[in-house]
Amino acid sequence: MKIPGHTAVGSKTLRRPHEGPWAWLAAASVALSVLMLGALIVLLSVKGLANFWPSTLHEVILDDGDTVIGVPFEQRTLPGGEGVERRYWIANRDDGGGIWRWLSVPRLASDQTPDDLVVLERRHWGTFFGRLVAVRLEGERLTGEAAWLAMEQRLKELDALRQARQQLTRDDILPLIRRMEREPSSSETQHRLDDRQLQALQARAKELRRLQQGGVLVLENSQGQRQEQPLEEVLDAWRPNAMAWYEKLGHWGGELWQFLSEGPRDANTAGGVWPAIFGTILMVLLMSVLVTPFGVLAAVYLNEVAHQGRLTRLVRIGVRNLAGVPSIVYGVFGLGVFVYGIGGSIDRWFFDSSLPSPTFGTGGLLWASLTLALLTLPVVIVATEEGLSRIPLHQREGALALGATRFETLTRVVLPMAMPAMLTGLILAVARAAGEVAPLMLVGVAKLAPQVPVDGEFPFLHLERKFMHLGYHIYDAAFHSSDVQAAMPLVYATALLLVVVILVLNLTAIFMRHYLRKRHGAPVRR
Amino acid sequence: MSDPTSTNPLYRSRQRRDRLATLLITAGGIGVLLTVIAIAVFLLVEVVPLFWPGADGMSLSALWSAPGTSGEAEFRWLPHRLEEGVVAQASLAPLLWGTLEAAIWALIVAIPLALGAAAHSSLYMTPGLRARMKPTLELMEAMPSVVLGFIAGLVLGPWVERHLAEAVSVVLLLPLAMITLALGHRRLPVPVQRYLSLNSAALWLLPCLLLLVLAAVQLAPLWESWWFAGDLREWVEQRWGLDVQARNAMIVGLAMGFAVIPGIYALAEDALSDVPRNLAEGAQAMGATRWQTLTRVMLPIALPGIFSAIMIGAGRAVGETMIVLMASGNSALMTATPLDGLRSLASSIAIELPEAAPGGTHYRLLLLAALALFLFTFLMNTLAELVRARLRQRFRRSRGDT
Amino acid sequence: MSIDGRLPQRQLSQASLGSRRGAVMAFSEADTCLDIQGLSLAYAGKPALKDLTLRIPRHRVTAFIGPSGCGKSTLLRALNRLHDLNEDVSRRGSIYLDGHDIHDSRVAVSELRRRVGMVFQAPNPFPMSIYDNVAFGLRLQGGLSKRRIDDVVEWALKSAALWEEVKGRLRASAWSLSGGQQQRLVIARTLAVEPEVLLLDEPASALDPISTLKIEELIRTLKPHLTLVLVTHNMQQAARVSDYTAFLHNGELVEYGPTDTLFTHPRLRRTENYITGRMVG
Repeated sequence: MKIPGHTAVGSKTLRRPHEGPWAWLAAASVALSVLMLGALIVLLSVKGLANFWPSTLHEVILDDGDTVIGVPFEQRTLPGGEGVERRYWIANRDDGGGIWRWLSVPRLASDQTPDDLVVLERRHWGTFFGRLVAVRLEGERLTGEAAWLAMEQRLKELDALRQARQQLTRDDILPLIRRMEREPSSSETQHRLDDRQLQALQARAKELRRLQQGGVLVLENSQGQRQEQPLEEVLDAWRPNAMAWYEKLGHWGGELWQFLSEGPRDANTAGGVWPAIFGTILMVLLMSVLVTPFGVLAAVYLNEVAHQGRLTRLVRIGVRNLAGVPSIVYGVFGLGVFVYGIGGSIDRWFFDSSLPSPTFGTGGLLWASLTLALLTLPVVIVATEEGLSRIPLHQREGALALGATRFETLTRVVLPMAMPAMLTGLILAVARAAGEVAPLMLVGVAKLAPQVPVDGEFPFLHLERKFMHLGYHIYDAAFHSSDVQAAMPLVYATALLLVVVILVLNLTAIFMRHYLRKRHGAPVRR
Repeated sequence: MSDPTSTNPLYRSRQRRDRLATLLITAGGIGVLLTVIAIAVFLLVEVVPLFWPGADGMSLSALWSAPGTSGEAEFRWLPHRLEEGVVAQASLAPLLWGTLEAAIWALIVAIPLALGAAAHSSLYMTPGLRARMKPTLELMEAMPSVVLGFIAGLVLGPWVERHLAEAVSVVLLLPLAMITLALGHRRLPVPVQRYLSLNSAALWLLPCLLLLVLAAVQLAPLWESWWFAGDLREWVEQRWGLDVQARNAMIVGLAMGFAVIPGIYALAEDALSDVPRNLAEGAQAMGATRWQTLTRVMLPIALPGIFSAIMIGAGRAVGETMIVLMASGNSALMTATPLDGLRSLASSIAIELPEAAPGGTHYRLLLLAALALFLFTFLMNTLAELVRARLRQRFRRSRGDT
Repeated sequence: MSIDGRLPQRQLSQASLGSRRGAVMAFSEADTCLDIQGLSLAYAGKPALKDLTLRIPRHRVTAFIGPSGCGKSTLLRALNRLHDLNEDVSRRGSIYLDGHDIHDSRVAVSELRRRVGMVFQAPNPFPMSIYDNVAFGLRLQGGLSKRRIDDVVEWALKSAALWEEVKGRLRASAWSLSGGQQQRLVIARTLAVEPEVLLLDEPASALDPISTLKIEELIRTLKPHLTLVLVTHNMQQAARVSDYTAFLHNGELVEYGPTDTLFTHPRLRRTENYITGRMVG
């Protein structure tokens, strides 16, 4: 059809018009966002997990005859076309030089990976790269392969001894000392008995300590210099170049396990993160215990009891918006009110004797959990309210019509139906709390607290103690350690661990919500 | 039937229990809500003495004043001088400036990406893909900020410092390549066009983008040697006198943008999806492309919703602590150069508050900073929420259901 | 209605008593179960029921008909005080259950609601097993043995003509039942607490014709034991199952009388228009 006196407006072809460049840029922004997320996760995974892989040791000889043993880390092009430089991790902090060395690639005369290179994990001075020349053990001097076998055997023994001694100290000696300190006025005979027991235990510990001594390794570094290394200082030893892939895999698993189960060493640049894992979990658990009842209570009040007027609507918006208030503000509140206010008062009333050193008047597990509970309260309230409001009115009426009171309707019908929503809210709250660091810097994490806040001593759970936290551990190791480069692999691994925990929690919440929507989508066939 | 007024005791006790429980819930609920209000009250009460004429002798103007040392006005945040009684050297102005600068850079990164993503997923994406994309981007929001700060401050920052040319190359090449792709796509044979359709672009663009990024990085030394004598950084320093720091405002902006994208995306996507379908379909029926439908029909309607999304994103950017702390260098400078470091309100609180003596001027100043953050974000979010509520009401009315 | 099946068989006297509207009612004062006196209800100031007065006979089916929004559901919900939940509702007038004011402050609402059971338009079984649904009301009262609850559940399901269909899967989720079964489960659940009055709010409107027939059949079998009040949109249904019919319009009672009379010889023009379909809701 044509309008008389008008020429046609458009062409008559049926091809779809083109969307133009903006649409493509929009599409690219989705892809770019996903790409960034993926890149971040891949980077963390690769760097975090590669840390535990026994990397191949290279022995390179420079054109001036200098020999270096190390692991190549990265490579960069020098400005102005001056060639390529490669950075090696050469360890051996006790040799005086740094643990890193940049080598000019064109100057490398030879690059080999001999099988007899060893890596030693030592309690002091960090990692050692070099060769094992001999082992002196109980007057015998062993060389060659026999030395290696003897050392491995001895390391196993040492590990067992170390553990026995640790256990003795932790389970027997420390509790006894604490008890004696707490009750110094108990009867004389009791006191003597305790004393004798303590002496016996300490003698046993000393014996275990003595058994660890003896045994010296003769090592040779890249320069061919010999040095002696007491065996008891060595934690682990391996020959990466001589390992088959399955041995490497086993070693990798062992290292990973150590990372997860041991405490940090060397000012947080080596060792594991077990206290941080434990601290994070404990704090999050405490927080859940605190936030769930109060969050649900507030949501039930807002949704079921309060008069649904203008005021309630305002309060609801207010609560929703609290989720957007920066976490540091909660930290400030926690420090001012919980730590200085309530904690200070508790100290004045109950721990007067130990003042001025604060007991509860300083950051600690309890205050951190409370602060995070406050921080995540809006999350739980909003999720629970959403769940409650999603329950159809006719379900409530059905219960009421059977003679249930409002409270009975709530506990027997409404709350069970809202349970998945509440759980979703709680999981999201836990995920948020696990990743929060800023408020914790104010109310209670510690740089290094090898003692976990739970032990066999009354009252078992020490709410006033400081604790370690994965997130803070990342911040601390990355910014406050003496050698950031050395700490990096561990920071990567810790970050990966934190991200994995949080992603798993979030995925659980997402699947739960999905399942919930599906189930509530078609409850009754009509 | 018996007299209903002579109820048996069972019902009485149940009734009593009901009343008791209701009372307890009310008390508990109001208690929790009051605790929440207590945050604002606490901050106010602690900050007020700061302006009490007397002991501290602090006035509002002192916070903004710039004591002229040798003629030139200078704003300084030197809290340790407070103990020596030098109040005038604790101006919050550089911190506020740092906070705003970081937030603005974050929004510059986040707004185009988030809005583009929202537009794409509400207009073009198939429902199945969208159902997967939304949770994926939610995971992005869940990334702990301490990890983002670590990556930005210790990995990305140093990399950009060393590979400035590569970074610039990536930033410039990506949009160019996309526009080329848009123009080239219509020239492709129809089956290929259909296979590589815009609807699933989010997926098949992933490997393309990855390759592009790699190509950009590989190409960088080439043009760097052509135009900038082989060293862009050197060139920038000589030409503009700028020293590229490893930790600077742009890196902060990038990391914080990453953190802010998912929030803005989710709300903007909601705003666009809430636009009644029949409006968009009406425009498309008249021959408009989907993009034209977006800009001419949907965007004007969803604009308030998108604004509220941006406001909430801004609120998050302003209050973010760890990313700024770890990626910014924390120097309280008042420069507009994106390549310098900065220090924000939130990161100052995190570093200095544990050391500040409770009740002292420094302590109260930091609490003032916290109050400012609280009020700002709360107001932003409330405004956003009100706008959203009004918008939703309008849609409901336009759909005709009550 | 009681489980033991000893049902009071009362003869209905044929004494005629006129309602306020002058309809001739065929039951005595003594056979009045629910007596509604001058009831007015308003939602947030908007009147929903205007000065209604009618008496509902014991052990009969009384139907409320009328166009949507005429107040028939509102009236039904007033009979077990379900409006108490809504703070916006204001009321005048009284309702007497067996001569006792249900709004008396001494009345426990939960007990009233147990005695005056209600079945809703959409089946609303709880998300629990079939068994737990029926036992829900019993457990509220407490102190019943497991045996006793088993017995009552079986009896209630039999009374609701559902036993044969579900007896093998009492532990299955109630939401796995079909719509018609769900509605009968809701009826069974209500019967289990031994109500004296059963309010049915368009119980079959969400169901298919066969399920509807089953529900109507069930209403007929329950009639000798219970006072039933039925709200329905469906003229034929009202004609098929009810003994008395009240026609409401705009919150007013237009006409009330025995169903036969009302459907064959309506006294008012408005009633006739509605039942013949000339007045559309």
